[in-house]
Amino acid sequence: MVSSLLNLVLKEIKELLRDPKVLLGVVLMPLLIFPLMGSAMNVSTTAVEQSTKRMSIALMDLDLGPQVEDLVLFIEAYNITVQMIGGESVSDALTQIQGGNIAALVVIPQGFSMNLSSGRRARLDIYTVLRSISVSEGVVSSVAGAPIQSYEKMLVDEAVRQTFPGRDPDTVLNPIDIASHVSFRGKMVEASPDLFQGILISQSFGFPMVVMLLLISSMQTAATSISVEKEEKTMETLLTLPVGRLSILTGKLAGSVIVAAVGAATSLIGVSFYTSSIVGAAGMNEVDMMSLGLAPTPMALFLLGVMMFVTIVSALALAICVATFADNVRSAQSLVGPLSVLVILPSLMLMFADIAILPPAVQVAMYVVPYTHSILASKAAFMGDYATMLVSIGYISLFTVAILYVTARIFTSERIITARLSFGRRGPRSPPA
Amino acid sequence: MNAIEAKDLVKTYGGIQALRGLSFTVDQGEVFGLIGPNGAGKTTALRVFSTLIKPTSGSVKIFGLDVEHEAAGVRKIISYLPEEAGAYRNLTGTEYLDFMARFYASDESSHLLVEEAAKITGLGIRLGDRVKTYSKGMGRRLLIARALMMKPRLCILDEPTSGLDVVHSVHVRKTIQSYAKEHGVTILLSSHNMLEVELLCNRIALMNEGRILAQGNPMEIRAKYGAQNLEEAFIEATKHG
Repeated sequence: MVSSLLNLVLKEIKELLRDPKVLLGVVLMPLLIFPLMGSAMNVSTTAVEQSTKRMSIALMDLDLGPQVEDLVLFIEAYNITVQMIGGESVSDALTQIQGGNIAALVVIPQGFSMNLSSGRRARLDIYTVLRSISVSEGVVSSVAGAPIQSYEKMLVDEAVRQTFPGRDPDTVLNPIDIASHVSFRGKMVEASPDLFQGILISQSFGFPMVVMLLLISSMQTAATSISVEKEEKTMETLLTLPVGRLSILTGKLAGSVIVAAVGAATSLIGVSFYTSSIVGAAGMNEVDMMSLGLAPTPMALFLLGVMMFVTIVSALALAICVATFADNVRSAQSLVGPLSVLVILPSLMLMFADIAILPPAVQVAMYVVPYTHSILASKAAFMGDYATMLVSIGYISLFTVAILYVTARIFTSERIITARLSFGRRGPRSPPA
Repeated sequence: MNAIEAKDLVKTYGGIQALRGLSFTVDQGEVFGLIGPNGAGKTTALRVFSTLIKPTSGSVKIFGLDVEHEAAGVRKIISYLPEEAGAYRNLTGTEYLDFMARFYASDESSHLLVEEAAKITGLGIRLGDRVKTYSKGMGRRLLIARALMMKPRLCILDEPTSGLDVVHSVHVRKTIQSYAKEHGVTILLSSHNMLEVELLCNRIALMNEGRILAQGNPMEIRAKYGAQNLEEAFIEATKHG
């Protein structure tokens, strides 16, 4: 015999997944939006790459010396078209190139070649032409400076070779070879500090983001599941069936967890498409965390799972508890919306800063919010800090038990029927006929 | 044993007395009607009987079970159809009936309840469609079938034909009558439709402002107030308080 609880859970899942708002908003949108965002970024990045490949710069030669010819050859070797330009002044030259597609004006003043050949510092001016506000404009202008820096390095290398014949210029200029190593969790990690730091930062962004997405979608789903019963006038019938009210509450929690998990899974699939598009476009390679020793241990993963479970249950119970006071879906979502701040605020703050460096008053406020501990525990998982994880799980569990108790009390009382809050209505509320 | 025994029932909502000492009994197999205008306290009384809300004072027993202290037992033997109740919009009619049947029967026998309910609805192949595609009348037929399919000992119906057209109203009334007669189901219904009550009920109670003004069979009530119909009797009853 299918138990009453399973019957309730199956009904919840069917109802939620067949609701176009839930299906589209929670399940399908992340699958569409993130890959679309990734594709859009990919197209933009490719366009920037293409624009740097066919870049032109203008060169105003006031020096007319031999070094300028070398410099032009050097720039052209970078696939940049050099357009020689005349004019009486710089502003005159800038006016000439304004209408075209020239990215920068390089002005070589009189005496450039002489200064270089006589060992003095030579001046060179680059005027970047910005025609719009976009990342691509910045990239293009920085690309224009790259061949000139290379040309400068070539001059330096040449000078070093003349001064120290037979010596490698790199060895002369950088006599100390700095080898960096990282010690993590008591063992050496074969990675550069920059790479290692990058991975840690991506983890500190990635996990809070996942927790945030999962909690917000769970809360909205749970609020919908309870308020739709009131809006569609099915709640009263449900509460008179021969099934415990705690079973009804558990059924709603379980149904919402499953639907939220489906939503989280599609979000993660969408985000991974987005990330791979960005990474592919930027020419970066994935880093194997296992080989760097950065993957959480099995114990940390287990505790992480426990932490996620109690966090989700507490968020769902909180959303259901609040949504019982609303008599329609819109009011419920308006009531639950502000609760998202409890999730978003710690997630965002802890993405950018460690809690220990925050002002003491902010730290206390943050520690009171249970979802701060979810983020702290997820970070601690990567550091192998089980004590922090256990404390966080304990705190969230206590909060969850308290919220479940209050929610259960509401469910077993007549408040579930009589509590009604509807936005947009005025006037005193009268009892039913 | 009485099907319902209400004694001095009082219900207060935040300072407003919705029920002011309601007392009446309903016999087994009887169709009993609570009639009165909007705000008379009919729905509040039905909610107390169906264990949704608790009495402020007084007591109610359903087949000997106290609604406040033995609510779980009461829920096993009653079914309640609220006014303006809905069914789950994204389930089909059959899925809705199956969901409800599984609370009263095993996997093996729940389909028998669903088949019974399908006959009561008269909706045929439309039971395979989602509830959100149903008209109000079709939805109400589905809900009446849900309330009766498990043959409860007491069926509580709040305004069973409210908002329905003549065709659907007649279908619902006939269903209620035949079920009470054939299966001995006790029916407690509320209505402000005096004609409906006269057609359906063995006995009635006239309610106004949380009190019972008079109770008896429709003929007795009419005779008591020298009225030609229940509407006139109700007006007379309110004059006498």
